[in-house]
Amino acid sequence: MDEELQEDWLDARLREEAPYVDDAGFTAQLVQKLPARRAAGPSFRGAILLAITIFACVVTYFASGGGYFLISAVDTLATWPLWMVCTIAILCGIIATVVAAGAAWSQAREEML
Amino acid sequence: MPLTDADLVARVLLDDDHHAFAELVRNHQSAIRGLLRQLTRNDLALADDLAQETFLRAYKHIRSFRGEAKFSTWLYRIAYNCFREEARKRKELVGIDETVLEAQQDPQTTDPALKHDLMHALQLLPLHERSAILLCCQNGLSHDEAARVLDIPLGTVKTNVLRGREKLKRALAAWGPA
Repeated sequence: MDEELQEDWLDARLREEAPYVDDAGFTAQLVQKLPARRAAGPSFRGAILLAITIFACVVTYFASGGGYFLISAVDTLATWPLWMVCTIAILCGIIATVVAAGAAWSQAREEML
Repeated sequence: MPLTDADLVARVLLDDDHHAFAELVRNHQSAIRGLLRQLTRNDLALADDLAQETFLRAYKHIRSFRGEAKFSTWLYRIAYNCFREEARKRKELVGIDETVLEAQQDPQTTDPALKHDLMHALQLLPLHERSAILLCCQNGLSHDEAARVLDIPLGTVKTNVLRGREKLKRALAAWGPA
């Protein structure tokens, strides 16, 4: 009980002594150092990326004679042995996993600041 | 009605609103600068430089704040990381060892004013105990929140608070409750 009372007393003194720091121009000075406002928000950037991707797809489609190269690639793939298709699929999966893990790790590091 | 931290963060995210960020700085500058002053043993210039770095980092990385913890806890964490980086550069900021504490606890040599004694005793604590005491006992963070800020296990925070309290109680034995 005595111990508890002493702890409460100590915590109360510590809270009392928490320094109040007057702003005194700190905020104004800091705001001047903030990087300039971004010209375009993330959604706008996303829209630009999407538009460029669609445009590139359309150009590729017409430039390749109506996407004939795709049909030809699927035909070639169909002639490959099953084990080779499976191996390529697994390799693609591993590469995608490594890239995603790298991105997640980098994001987690950023959040740690 | 004043805007909450969450509203202000949303405005910064949505519109890169400098006014909203300035409001966040105004709301938290005292706590962050106060903590840094105590961590740097009242080196006001260094504490303010670190506080400035804290808020600039917060602005730069505000997208990584996902609202799982309180905004203040997130800021404390950035501030503590800034301090730790600086402390690594300046070895002298890292805690004073126990022998110095024992040597300086002679009641004859301490100032009679409680505030002075408390601040003195606090500044003599090793860094890990001082940080835990400042966050939990002075700034009102839970042990769990302090563990996030300090990036150490919950049990270690509890131990550091306990040990820090014991040392403060010993240092302030003459002042205890009647």
